[in-house]
Amino acid sequence: MVFKHDVVIVGAGLAGLRAALEVAGNVDVALISKVYPTRSHSGAAQGGIAAALGNEEPDSWEWHMYDTVKGGDYLTDQHVAEILATDAPRAVYELEHLGVPFNRTPDGKIAQRAFGGHTRDFGKAPVKRACYAADRTGRVMMDTLYFQAERKGIKVYPELQMLDLIFKDGQVAGLVAYELATGDVHVFHSRVVMLATGGYGKVYKTTSNAFANTGEGVYIPYRAGIPLEDMEFVQFHPTGIYGMGVLLSEAARGEGGILRNGSGERFMERYAPTIKDLAPRDMVSRAIRTEILEGRGIGGKDYVHLDLTHLGEQKLAERLSDITSFVKIYLGIDPAKELIPIQPTCHYMMGGIPCNVDGHVLGGSQEVVPGLYAAGECSCLSLHGANRLGCNSLLDLVVFGRRTGLQIGRDLAGLPWQELPRNPERPALERIRKIKERKAGEKAAHLRSRLQETMTLRCSVFRHEETLVQALSEIRSLEERYGKVVIDNRGARFNTDLLDALELEALLGLAEAITVSALNRKESRGAHSRDDYPERNDEEWLKHTLIQKTDGEVRVFYKPVHITRFQPKPRTY
Amino acid sequence: MGRSLKFNIFRYNPEDPASVPHMETFHLEETDAMTLFIALNRIREEQDPSLQFDFMCRAGICGSCAMLINGRPDLACHTKTKGLPEEITLLPLPVFKLIGDLSVDTGTWFRAMNEKVQSWVHTDKVFDPQAPEERMENQLAEEIYELERCVECGCCVAACGKANMRPEFMGAVAFNRIARFMMDPRDQRTGDQYFEVVGNEEGIFGCLGLLGCEDVCPKDIPLQDQLGLLRRKMGWQSVRHLFSKLLPE
Repeated sequence: MVFKHDVVIVGAGLAGLRAALEVAGNVDVALISKVYPTRSHSGAAQGGIAAALGNEEPDSWEWHMYDTVKGGDYLTDQHVAEILATDAPRAVYELEHLGVPFNRTPDGKIAQRAFGGHTRDFGKAPVKRACYAADRTGRVMMDTLYFQAERKGIKVYPELQMLDLIFKDGQVAGLVAYELATGDVHVFHSRVVMLATGGYGKVYKTTSNAFANTGEGVYIPYRAGIPLEDMEFVQFHPTGIYGMGVLLSEAARGEGGILRNGSGERFMERYAPTIKDLAPRDMVSRAIRTEILEGRGIGGKDYVHLDLTHLGEQKLAERLSDITSFVKIYLGIDPAKELIPIQPTCHYMMGGIPCNVDGHVLGGSQEVVPGLYAAGECSCLSLHGANRLGCNSLLDLVVFGRRTGLQIGRDLAGLPWQELPRNPERPALERIRKIKERKAGEKAAHLRSRLQETMTLRCSVFRHEETLVQALSEIRSLEERYGKVVIDNRGARFNTDLLDALELEALLGLAEAITVSALNRKESRGAHSRDDYPERNDEEWLKHTLIQKTDGEVRVFYKPVHITRFQPKPRTY
Repeated sequence: MGRSLKFNIFRYNPEDPASVPHMETFHLEETDAMTLFIALNRIREEQDPSLQFDFMCRAGICGSCAMLINGRPDLACHTKTKGLPEEITLLPLPVFKLIGDLSVDTGTWFRAMNEKVQSWVHTDKVFDPQAPEERMENQLAEEIYELERCVECGCCVAACGKANMRPEFMGAVAFNRIARFMMDPRDQRTGDQYFEVVGNEEGIFGCLGLLGCEDVCPKDIPLQDQLGLLRRKMGWQSVRHLFSKLLPE
């Protein structure tokens, strides 16, 4: 079928919802989502949303901006960080106005707690900047915005997976999507497509991400020739539940939790003497990996402990109830009495589709691609630079989701309907037909496991030219094997076997982009840490990576970082 | 060596005229820390790629994976096989429209419910971007949060005797929502307006008080308290309605 809407937003998490709310009422907008909207992964965000409200202690947007820039190891584009930090209080007050049940201070203001990398007075000491609703801030924000979308009667197409973008004369004309329930392939004819599809942690074996986070929303524009930015910067969250990767919020350390190694030592004192366990995530994950590599893991194994025993049962029940409950369920451990085994888990992608501050997607020559927009984790503004701070992501979603929605409203008059090219769904149908008809080959699940193992082993917290070269050659051989991927289920309805195979193409393409970008960046900065180039090198590498694929050829090039207020300095905490 | 688990799983494709509802048996060796979610994925990957069930976050927050586990509604992702006998019977949640096998459509049901109860703060105050937040006691914020923790998994609806007999019954999840907004000073709806929504047989007066909902809520939301509260408030409201009819102004 062909569906027609002025604006189609792909992804119904916080960025997509916030943009949709801004556009709805004036034009015909529809959301399409791989999952039912309230199952979106924004809901898994636990700890909070940052804003310099100063409700608990003095704070200022400039400190917030500085922390964001320093947290990003000076790769952050500073005019973007300034927008984020100055707009943050408005964004939080607006959420409060809509009904988000934030915790409160004794005098009834929105309560705030400490979070990694957020400091007062340009790095002097931790500051309480994270607004929160216990340890479920993302879910309550998302439900609140989704109910607003229901109130406005916004059309949602759940369980539809994007397969292709459609362009006509360089302008977006719509997209092609696969309906999970029927196996039908539909065309969405539109004047605007906004991508808000989130991250792609499923490139890695151990990840906090949900199963839908396979990155088609980033890969499809890349396949269509649009570059990707800063793909080498992959965030590993320090505290994933050992063996599972399920997230234990940084709020646990914000509330006073401590990391301990095999001999019970609070090892973060050695790595970040001023703010210790509340150092930014890249530093804490490296510290944990270093402890493990040097034999100071628990019992010499590949994990360390998160100690919450001194927080007391009441604080755990009030502020960290969800994570307390799943530690009990999954590990059979009571965090009030026992230490929790944790290891770093792939959590967030700083890189993605290059965008300007109004959500316009930028092509290979920095030109605006007419009709195409992006916001949220799939985009790269570059706000988070080389490492995102906790609580800046929920903020990013509502600040830049809204800005993108506003910009779409302003641009629409200049974006006429484009005629659809003939049979725009044909390439997607061909891909599906080939997979369904193939008789002999390998299953996607098997190839995916190999990819995830390779990326986890060779391209994660620490990297080296040798391991990256190995990773790249393994990815390319997996890409070759992917050409013979087979499925056992040839049915039409909810064919997860087929979806696995379709998603794997995206995972492979993005893994390659991550690895090539990482191989080229010969320095260590933020989440990108090279054993063979352990220092940050501003002279040569204070620039954004862009990677572009045209006619099967990968090209890497660079663009400068936007510096306004803060000159790069050594990054210590 | 782990136990050998026997899974009896409901199979049916309602869209296929040739499909007949039946139970199918699968065997799996139990591994360390196995959850039902892990077990189902292994069955699908290794034994039958056509098996349908829903899942997303595997951390108990998205609410996708509810099903009947040995007769009891619960989330597959946070149910460990260790706590179950060797024979495990899995059925889809009742009340909701069956999509196939263990997968049901909770989304359509919840959207309709949310629209019916108008699950958002009703206020004529316009947001002023210059103004700080409205003050609220932390205790009240925590009480609202407590009810806001619903993940829309559908377990309470599936465990509800009334909802199983009368599909139009709103269920505890709707009453929980109403209670949440009644408690919230930001919502300006009056008792009468809430009464319009839930003061009827489809709503709070249809509840049989069996409390299956509270027993099964995977998030331990105190649903019983909300039912009691709503009944008292709506009971009062209905008396007032009666009086205003008998004694017109």
